[in-house]
Amino acid sequence: MTQRFLSHADLGALVAAHRRVIAPVRARDDARQTDYLPIRALADAALGAALPRRSLKEFFLPPTEVLLSYRQTKEGVEIKEVPTEAQPQVVLFASPCDAAALEVVDKVMDWEYRDELWFGRREATTIVGLLCSSMDSSCICSAIGLGPDSPRGSDVLLTPVEGGYLAQVITPKGEALLSDCAATEASAAAVAQAEAARQQARQKVENNAPAIPDGFAAWLEENFDHPVWRTMALRCHGCGACAGVCPTCHCFDIVDEHDSSDEGVRRRNWDSCQTAKFTLQASGHNPRQGQSERFRQRIQHKFSIYPKRFGEILCTGCGRCCRVCAGGMDLSEILGGLIALAKKGAEGSGR
Amino acid sequence: MNIYQPHLMRIVEITDETVDTRTLKLEFKAPAMAREFKFSAGQFGEYSAFGEGESTFCIASSPTRQGYIECSFKSTGKVTQALRRLGVGDTVGFRGPYGNHFPIEEMKGHSVVFIAGGIGLAPVRCAIWNVLDLRDQYKDVTIVYGARTVGDLVYKRELEEWSRRADLRLCLAVDPGGETPDWKGEVARIPTAVEKAVTTAEDTFAVLCGPPIMIKFTLPVLARLGFAAERIYTTLENRMKCGLGKCGRCNIGATYVCKDGPVFTAAEMGRMPQEF
Repeated sequence: MTQRFLSHADLGALVAAHRRVIAPVRARDDARQTDYLPIRALADAALGAALPRRSLKEFFLPPTEVLLSYRQTKEGVEIKEVPTEAQPQVVLFASPCDAAALEVVDKVMDWEYRDELWFGRREATTIVGLLCSSMDSSCICSAIGLGPDSPRGSDVLLTPVEGGYLAQVITPKGEALLSDCAATEASAAAVAQAEAARQQARQKVENNAPAIPDGFAAWLEENFDHPVWRTMALRCHGCGACAGVCPTCHCFDIVDEHDSSDEGVRRRNWDSCQTAKFTLQASGHNPRQGQSERFRQRIQHKFSIYPKRFGEILCTGCGRCCRVCAGGMDLSEILGGLIALAKKGAEGSGR
Repeated sequence: MNIYQPHLMRIVEITDETVDTRTLKLEFKAPAMAREFKFSAGQFGEYSAFGEGESTFCIASSPTRQGYIECSFKSTGKVTQALRRLGVGDTVGFRGPYGNHFPIEEMKGHSVVFIAGGIGLAPVRCAIWNVLDLRDQYKDVTIVYGARTVGDLVYKRELEEWSRRADLRLCLAVDPGGETPDWKGEVARIPTAVEKAVTTAEDTFAVLCGPPIMIKFTLPVLARLGFAAERIYTTLENRMKCGLGKCGRCNIGATYVCKDGPVFTAAEMGRMPQEF
């Protein structure tokens, strides 16, 4: 991994040189909050503020997108394909939890059938991550095995140092981005300063939740019928807000919208396993009838099913689900409770 | 072409199976697709009525009959009602084939018992014709099929044809109260009909499909007859959207019905969380 120094001016030039740059900016409706939005100049970006309200997911899997359009003609139906290539874009100051999530979701999007709409946008995007400084008590990235300085999913990771940023070049795409830019070799002082900042950031979240222990995925699978799911789910309203803000939740629905007498589009829309009709079958049978089954599905999918199928936890510890939950459900509390049960079970069985 | 884009197919024949169940015979519009399309018995597809969306059905015709596919569906929701409004010559969308298939190869040289309830005959019919079209490669063939009432029996012309064939045993049943005065079949629920019609599990595979309640009460009967759970095959019909393992809807624990199924053995189902 090469390390460079980028001055504020260098970064400003980088923003100016790219047609589409996305960065956290102050939310229009709430100055304490930020959203990932396109920026024109570096000064538009809001630094050191809260984690953006929504993750980067929407730039790769939009809340709603057209999969195809069709026209009914006398001869039948004409389908118009949608392009799978996307316009090049740069995401600047991505939070490490949001950058990592993209790499995690890549696995399911490439599972036997490659989702070209997702990968078209992934390939056209360069991600510049930033050492996280906006953590709060809901952040559990460390427990998941990531951290505020995790390079995962970023092409370049920035750490603020005196006069600018230390840039760690992580991928060839990151190298290409910086090759157009006046970045210089990082001084030993800058490297040391960055390391100190990273260590400080890590300490801020390390104690938010216990680390996911080995064998946790298997414990969850074995304890599918544990009574704890019922008690834990009591506060869940089934609104699905957690899935909307989650950087890794990727479930979707496919619907047709008939626009005029003979034309329409097929759309993919975000969906959530927390809603009652998600698994409702045509016969009226619903395998997940109650909210506790739906809550269990969400936790099992993230911490047992996805790890089993893809070797990855489907969570990057961003904490957004806790921040938006109307029922006050807290993932660190939920995981803490489940981990304690798993440990107790292991002791009880003499393992 | 992105993975969600369907192929266009033309409806070439419509058969009303019951008051609300219909079979569409479909041909690919693109000659290359018509030539190259291959599938195996038990696989499914996403069928679209443009303007209303997609629905998941198995391919109900046999892979031994090339040049077309058939699907059978009950009109229950938006898409199935829209498909019902279409006529011969109209266009539908199709994505597939997806999923795994029945053990048509493994069953060669053995006897097979097919058991179906209601519209559950659709996936089983695909396997039945596959086996009957290669009849000399299998030993005894038994079909046990039932529905709530005589009017709910599907593929009546084929039931007629099977009843006349000497190389298979057909047992038809309707639930008590579902019979008509001229009904000559059994008046019994499927588990009872199976107990009567099937006498041995020796060297035999069982393929069964139907409503969850039928499966639940038929499995113990098959176990008592001596069928090993590894030799009992069924399909799961979970709700799906993509059929490709992405939309996150059809899983039972870590098992994805669209990718690992829809065909499972009773042994596999026993190992899954009981959430289906």
